[in-house]
Amino acid sequence: MLVKEVMLPFGKFPVIGRTVILKEALEEMNKHSLGIVCVVDEEQTLLGIFTDGDIRRQLLSIQKPFSAFFIDDALDHSTKTPLTAQISDKVHDVIKTMGERKIWDLPVLNESRKLVGLLHLHPVVEALFNEKL
Amino acid sequence: MEKKIVSVGYGDVKPIKIGDRLPLVYVGGPCAIESKDHAFKMAEMIGDICRRVGIEYIYKSCYDKDCRSSPTSFHGCGIDDGLQILSDIRKEFGVPVVSDFSDPAWAAATGEVCDLVQVPAYLCRQTSILKAAAKTGKPILLKKGQFMSPWNMKNSVRKLEAADCHQIILADRGTFFGYNMLVNDMTCFPIMAYTGYPVCFDASHSIQLPTSMGNISGGQREFIPHLVRSAVANGINVLFMETHDNPLKALSDANTVLDIKYLENILSQAKRVHEVRLELLEKYGEDNVHPQK
Repeated sequence: MLVKEVMLPFGKFPVIGRTVILKEALEEMNKHSLGIVCVVDEEQTLLGIFTDGDIRRQLLSIQKPFSAFFIDDALDHSTKTPLTAQISDKVHDVIKTMGERKIWDLPVLNESRKLVGLLHLHPVVEALFNEKL
Repeated sequence: MEKKIVSVGYGDVKPIKIGDRLPLVYVGGPCAIESKDHAFKMAEMIGDICRRVGIEYIYKSCYDKDCRSSPTSFHGCGIDDGLQILSDIRKEFGVPVVSDFSDPAWAAATGEVCDLVQVPAYLCRQTSILKAAAKTGKPILLKKGQFMSPWNMKNSVRKLEAADCHQIILADRGTFFGYNMLVNDMTCFPIMAYTGYPVCFDASHSIQLPTSMGNISGGQREFIPHLVRSAVANGINVLFMETHDNPLKALSDANTVLDIKYLENILSQAKRVHEVRLELLEKYGEDNVHPQK
């Protein structure tokens, strides 16, 4: 099974532009009920990701007021070189890496390194379960 | 974050470059245009002082002070006469000019004459004002409202950018500290500078005590030199300081405008502090204290 067969396609997971502020990024994550948002440029090149884990860590370390935190660009707090998967990667290989790195979601890039999807554990588990049956 | 350079001046007036690692620029003049003769006199006096100090300046004076506390206070000479006087000053002295505007309908005319268009602090988040300011095509001096946090000024910046304005200077003129009192939070400069745009300190309005005298504002101008040194050392690119040859007779902001007899001393110190800061930056590099480590 390949990543492209089970990934969430563009439009089904949170994606924001480079100047979107953190408060709007959180709203986008809530809208999709996912713990990750991908930041892209105009050509869909992945600039960074921001996750629930990042929020937890920031809340414990950032000392400025919430109002100042919320208006920061989400990109400023993002991981700029996240782990990614390719559409042609085998799901079993990618899942192993996600387990080792304790990652729930993985941005998926095409051959041109553009963001095309998100590998989210729930649909993957479901697909793998159906495969076994 | 890309640090932007703002260029003020068009036509026959040589542009002044404002931004990171560039010389400090002074913006000043009487708060309101009182008459053509007075405006010319002030422009000549300020020009002479700035030449002696070796600092470039932009002549500032407004044609309509729409935020006066009292209906009987001097409101200004009006847009037509005021802009004509500013236009004449540009031609006579070859200096860039700036005025604010308080009504979107005044923006186009203001932008036709002025090299720099000022958005008043009280109106800094009004979308119609910001759109009109952007439409002038001129650089914008955007004052931080006394009620605004420095980080929330990014919303106003984004409104200007959305209207295709990318020549912006952000100014602090103090922040309300309870009633009738302002304070300067010096962290506002690095916070606003994080937008990438140059930052300005408005010394004369920062020492204002808003409407503290019933129907007019008071002020503690004795603190101007202290705050100027602090703000310049903190990395401002522009120093805004209104000045007058006879403050007691000034038709607007008589309690805050700086007597011109003090201007050379303060500008000389400001210029030197700015130069020392640039020397320190060269020697020790940019500040690099991480917020969490």
